[in-house]
Amino acid sequence: MWDLRTPSGLLFTIYGVLLVISGLLWPEARAPLAEHNVNLYSGVAFLIFGVTLLWLARRAA
Amino acid sequence: MQLHAVDYLILGLYFAFVIGIGWLLKRRITTSSDFLTSSRSVPLWITSLAFVATNLGAQELVGMCASGAKYGIMTSHFYWVGAIPAMLFVGLFMMPFYYGSRARSVPEYLKLRFDEKTRAFNAFSFAAMTIFSSGISMYALGLLFQLVLGWSFTASVLLSALIVLVYTFLGGLTSAIYNEVLQFFLIVFGFAPLAWFAVQRAGGWQNMAARLPEVMTHSWKYTGDASANPMGIEVFGLVMGLGFVLSFGYWCTNYLVVQRAMAADSMTAARLTPIVGAFPKMLIPFIVIVPGLAAMALQNMNLGYSLPVKGNSYDYDQTIMTLMAQFYPNGMLGVGLTALMASFMSGMAGNVTAFNTVWTYDIYQSYIRRDAPDSHYLWVGRMTTIVGTILSIGAAYLATLYNNLMDLLQLVFSFVNAPLFATFLLGMFWKRATGHGAFTGLVAGTLAAALTHGLTLAEGKGAWIGNLHEFESVMAQNFWIAIFAWTTCFVVTILVSLFTEPRPVEELRGLVYGVTPIPHERHLPWYKRPGFVSLVAAVSCILLNVIFW
Repeated sequence: MWDLRTPSGLLFTIYGVLLVISGLLWPEARAPLAEHNVNLYSGVAFLIFGVTLLWLARRAA
Repeated sequence: MQLHAVDYLILGLYFAFVIGIGWLLKRRITTSSDFLTSSRSVPLWITSLAFVATNLGAQELVGMCASGAKYGIMTSHFYWVGAIPAMLFVGLFMMPFYYGSRARSVPEYLKLRFDEKTRAFNAFSFAAMTIFSSGISMYALGLLFQLVLGWSFTASVLLSALIVLVYTFLGGLTSAIYNEVLQFFLIVFGFAPLAWFAVQRAGGWQNMAARLPEVMTHSWKYTGDASANPMGIEVFGLVMGLGFVLSFGYWCTNYLVVQRAMAADSMTAARLTPIVGAFPKMLIPFIVIVPGLAAMALQNMNLGYSLPVKGNSYDYDQTIMTLMAQFYPNGMLGVGLTALMASFMSGMAGNVTAFNTVWTYDIYQSYIRRDAPDSHYLWVGRMTTIVGTILSIGAAYLATLYNNLMDLLQLVFSFVNAPLFATFLLGMFWKRATGHGAFTGLVAGTLAAALTHGLTLAEGKGAWIGNLHEFESVMAQNFWIAIFAWTTCFVVTILVSLFTEPRPVEELRGLVYGVTPIPHERHLPWYKRPGFVSLVAAVSCILLNVIFW
């Protein structure tokens, strides 16, 4: 039986990469009230979560 | 709100993943029990997150954020009073009877414990309720996307329903549960940044609180008197009505959530499902209610942000969407919308899978065709997924045409639900309770609920018989309706049971306290025992109440 952490980790890693790239390429694209690079910071969090899930699934296998 | 290619890419990837998970699980389905009850095979961490996620529908997210903007921290009562105690109770005291009996569903438990008519009453009302609630949430989602993104109502309703249909049709309950976990992660990671950045912008927690009326930053302080707080509730109605009757009625007897625990792979895992789920559940207010508070504070800061207006009051239901537009650039905006879509799907899939099982086992197999081979019931389960989805879409369109009819139906369902917990409590803990007693109690409790609504007035609602009392708010009225319904059901069930023939004790083995083996967990290390984990959850929940009192 495959591990649910694999597809979840994969999706979050892809989202993380997309968000980090968006944050780096268009740092000035900010919503009206945002003071930070929301895409970059959130993207890093997504990436960490995604990679952790993948690592946990790999370790269990 | 303008979406870019990256947002569509994020949304599209999500759709591909949920369907992919359904596809991967398809091979595991060979019997009707695999499809409808996951054959008791799902690990604990998955069932406990699914238990929380299935209740975290889009209406809940939008509604709780709206309530946060309108009432403030008091909204947390729906979690810390209205969910945690009941979740711990169902895990500790009721799961041994659900999981330990041969019942495949909650209505079937009623059949085994009481009789056919009690099961029929519960099965039919529950089946109708799941269809209408998934229809109503589909309607709400369609309206929201139409309003904010300009998408066609029909397109968003059909697309989201189709995706839920595909993955539940492929992998049944297991697919719904696995996807609920992915959806749970997306909801948390999609909304937590919003809460974080919005509170930061409002100057951090202390400064944000200083910009709000004091009544919005306390959960208990102003509940001594119903007229002192914006919810219009007082502490007795709150604790007894919401904390006891409504919350125990929902978390302990609603098959929608109980089904997740019953899919767990062992008795201990089934008991721990709601107990472990209590931890994420008690933290959800920080991602769904706090953005509402921040929105209210930001509005008072002259930043050019204001809550949308509808008529002569705020349109609180749009709070979460307007905040996203203020804080999320393209990219995160796609993630936020995906999270909203994910929450809608987890709620709808919960309804669809619960409807499937109740329809196939409790209605079709019991009243239409009893002795067919199992492959026939697997086929019926699959077809029910399609029919249930079509009926939900129908209910969504009915809601666009007859809004008042939907309000009326929801009211009737709340009357039927209010007394339920009394029936289960007596059924599980009192051997003497009889089928006639349970059925009469349920009917009497439902009538008592209707009668209370007919005799009291709140915000112009109710009092269609006469006006004996006026409540400060509809919420307070609901709490008291529940209290009267529960008490009536409890008393009537006891009285009628005493005058009717009880079932022989041998038939109640595994169903009632006293003739059911108590699951012993002495072989487990102490920190994995349901009792200890519940204690930690209870202490944490009390601490949260103290901090935000």
